[in-house]
Amino acid sequence: MVSKLKFLQGRKFASAFAVATLLSAGYAVADTCPEINPEALKWLDKMSRSAHEVNYQGVVTFQRGDDMQVMQISHTVSGQSATESLTQLTGQGAQVVRVEHPLDCIHPGHRLLRLGTDLHTAAGDGSSAGTCGLSEHYRFSVTEGERVAGRKAVRIVVAPRDMYRYGYVMELDKQTGLLLKTATIGRGDKVLENFQFANLSYGEGGSQTADVDLVHEAEHPVVGRELVHERSYSVDWGVGWLPNGFMATDSSSGGERRRTYTDGLAVFSVFLEILPRDIQPGEGVVRRGGTTSYTRGVRMAGRPALITVIGEVPVNTARMVADSVALLQ
Amino acid sequence: MSERLRESLSAVMDGEANELELERVLSRIGEDDELRQAWVRYNAVRSVNEGGHIANLSLDVSGRVRAAINEGNDGQALNKPAGLAQRFLKPLASFAVAASVAATVVIGGQQLYQIGEPDSYVNTLAGASPVGLINSVGATAVQASYGMQSVPVLQPTVRTAYRELARQRMERYMQEHVEQAALNTPQGLIPFSRVQQIQE
Repeated sequence: MVSKLKFLQGRKFASAFAVATLLSAGYAVADTCPEINPEALKWLDKMSRSAHEVNYQGVVTFQRGDDMQVMQISHTVSGQSATESLTQLTGQGAQVVRVEHPLDCIHPGHRLLRLGTDLHTAAGDGSSAGTCGLSEHYRFSVTEGERVAGRKAVRIVVAPRDMYRYGYVMELDKQTGLLLKTATIGRGDKVLENFQFANLSYGEGGSQTADVDLVHEAEHPVVGRELVHERSYSVDWGVGWLPNGFMATDSSSGGERRRTYTDGLAVFSVFLEILPRDIQPGEGVVRRGGTTSYTRGVRMAGRPALITVIGEVPVNTARMVADSVALLQ
Repeated sequence: MSERLRESLSAVMDGEANELELERVLSRIGEDDELRQAWVRYNAVRSVNEGGHIANLSLDVSGRVRAAINEGNDGQALNKPAGLAQRFLKPLASFAVAASVAATVVIGGQQLYQIGEPDSYVNTLAGASPVGLINSVGATAVQASYGMQSVPVLQPTVRTAYRELARQRMERYMQEHVEQAALNTPQGLIPFSRVQQIQE
């Protein structure tokens, strides 16, 4: 509809050449962005915002194979920043906290989740032409969800359009858009892992009662200072191939040992180690739930090196990425 | 320790022992100091390769194995005459128990087997960082082509060692990975539940 409008405006005001350009541009958006589901994109946008802006606390279970972990989550907004914590109720008993994360600090993964609505509303002025956001890489369908943690949910089935990422079944709170449940789906519709709220309440939380053995403050990149401690790493290297739609999560100038990429739903990290002595070349892989760890021993420019890709992507993706790692210069 | 016993121990650690080999190891491990030491030593090598300490060297694993086996046997009705199904299942059950215990004690027994002598064991410890087992593996690689680079097709020992390496790297790098995932996925801090041991 939007492209039609553009076409009409074009015919009215511009030369024949401009008509042709606008026509092709308009159709380019429509053609290369296959069946955008505006309702799903609206929910994803809401999900991203509620994760930042809503006050909530609850108990979350995380299940992969026979292993189940239980944790307490709290997210409190005060003024222009949010403070969140995760307290393990099983296992190690550690606590992770992130204090005063500014609400306007939107990291690339969330920007990708919100791109859908930008695309939808901005398509009129053509500013987002050429990018279809998540719709280019996933097919979405929205249906009535189940009840999760006592809340009515809307279900978004997220199916990958290529073989480089997993699928998801997400249940979002019908009222707030908060993500209540995620199942990660591998090949053959196999559920690789599952996390969901067991109970949830909105508003300011009470004091927590769990015994905590260790408190870890979650890291956050500091603009202009983030790479200083890693500068001693002596080689410049790069990743030559990424699945479409993945972008770097933080800025990097080539000197550090880690790179991380996200498409908004999946994240993987690439690590490079230059080894002090030779190893037999080879490769190995381990999978745990939705996480793949792929390690390859190689010689790069005559130096023995170990490339490791860790992330929530299929083995094949990790392997392809590792395959493309190269030293620069 | 006889060559045959050594082979049986190796097979048990690989989870590849048959009933006979399992019986051989378990019947001797109570009395045979050398056998028990070998088992403990393999355990230590693995623990060092995981970045752990070697403090467990005095750990007596056989006690744990025996306890697990007994537990497995207790699960069956000993007072009743064994039915056909039970007679079939019993060896399988005890085998499964022993195999799982062996798996928690040590894996990759095949290449560890090659460093059974005390001297080379010390050398391996000294060279454990950063890639652990790899230097002790003596398998040949055969070239085959995948994608853009040629990647070796590996003999089982190297493959086992690399799988172990991938597991170690997963442990080492997971926290750094989830720090990014926590900022860039809709799940917030929840990805931290993937980390086995959260470090401060």
